[in-house]
Amino acid sequence: MRQTTGPISRFGTLKSLLQRFAFLSLIGITFALMLIGKADTVLVDRARVAVTDAVTPILRVMSEPAGLIANFINNIHELAAIREENAQLREANARLLQWQAAAQRLESDNQSLRNLLSLVPEPSATFVTARVVADTGGAFAQSIIITAGTQSGVRKGQVVMTGEGVVGRVMQAGLYSSRVLLITDINSRIPVLVGDAGNRAIMAGDNSMRPRLRYLGNRTAAVAGDKVVTSGDAEAFPPGLPIGQVTRVDDGVVEVEPFVVRDKLQHVRVVDFGLAGILADQPPPATPQAKK
Amino acid sequence: MGPTFLQRVDLGARRLMPFGITLTLMLFAMTPTYITGLSHITPMYAFMAVYFWSIYRPDLLGYGTVFFIGILEDLLAGTPVGSSALILLICQRAVFSQQKFFNSRPFGLIWAAFALLALGASLLRWVCVGLAGPWGFTPFSTMIAGYLMTVAVYPIAAWVMAKAQMKLLATQ
Repeated sequence: MRQTTGPISRFGTLKSLLQRFAFLSLIGITFALMLIGKADTVLVDRARVAVTDAVTPILRVMSEPAGLIANFINNIHELAAIREENAQLREANARLLQWQAAAQRLESDNQSLRNLLSLVPEPSATFVTARVVADTGGAFAQSIIITAGTQSGVRKGQVVMTGEGVVGRVMQAGLYSSRVLLITDINSRIPVLVGDAGNRAIMAGDNSMRPRLRYLGNRTAAVAGDKVVTSGDAEAFPPGLPIGQVTRVDDGVVEVEPFVVRDKLQHVRVVDFGLAGILADQPPPATPQAKK
Repeated sequence: MGPTFLQRVDLGARRLMPFGITLTLMLFAMTPTYITGLSHITPMYAFMAVYFWSIYRPDLLGYGTVFFIGILEDLLAGTPVGSSALILLICQRAVFSQQKFFNSRPFGLIWAAFALLALGASLLRWVCVGLAGPWGFTPFSTMIAGYLMTVAVYPIAAWVMAKAQMKLLATQ
């Protein structure tokens, strides 16, 4: 028996030694990668872009059934309330037709006044619509992956919105996919204006559902129900985009409930406002360019 | 007579199954559910899969594979690269070193051990993500909510993986 178990047990010992060596080496590599990620974000970003681009087609297929189920449930809800909603829509339609007439009148007024002043128009915003195929990170990071990349004109730093308000900013743009940093992420910092008085503050995400307001000049000024909009400082966002509403003011802590419900996101708009943005890869030019 | 080419392909595919399921669960964690409030407390599906296969088929899921899945998860999820791989590797090592304990134990005990291991892993990842990022730590309550969700969902994930294991590995 010894003749047969001897080599086997030696082989077993060697195998377990090799396994232990592999384990320790890989643990060492994980720590090294975390350090590299902290020091060289460009390298890690490139890797993220490549992997996200490669995996997005799979995520797109996987997100399809959940999207179908969500749409089905929505349809049932809508069918149940269809009569009531129809009445509401008729009423809204009548009201909006009045607004349309008012808007057309104001537009023609506006146009003639612009002509009088020879005003140079601001560059208009363009947008790309994309599907949300992944909602990543769980408790530790808040980002989504969308199906539009540089091929569709998406660039790093662009603003991502829905009809309700700001979703976040493009953090990495691949060829066919992009990662959007949500306003609730711990790395998100947005200059905002709070309430009718327009108090300046920074809205900082912390990976929870409700970001907080920091550096609010007048802490007593914010009350629950105040609207929070982008301030346009630092050129990351244009001014006046809706973000959310103050829900809790407690002992210096001001919490904001975003208008956009993250879990309901199916499609988003990536808007190009023509801003340099603090997230752009290229540093802004030293001298401001003259407007043509 | 040795196995035919098709049999060899079939066997190879079966042996890749634990890797395939772990990878699928990792991607499944990122799939939008459209259920309000769930995105913030997504369970650690990849962790569940690594725990399960390390107990029942340690021969089919090695350190290298687990490391690969962890790195892929970090790259996709936007979390510090290495933080997920670290907890997955430690989970696997912990299970391997206590192989005798896990042998033929009732599910309740396996679940309790999972809860303990997942708590350690969640804390470790919380510290790693907090230290690696520029803005400090995720709220403790958010991390704990994610952890509780992971423990609550484990029996369902384990049931699915056990079914897959019985169906696909039965012929080996």
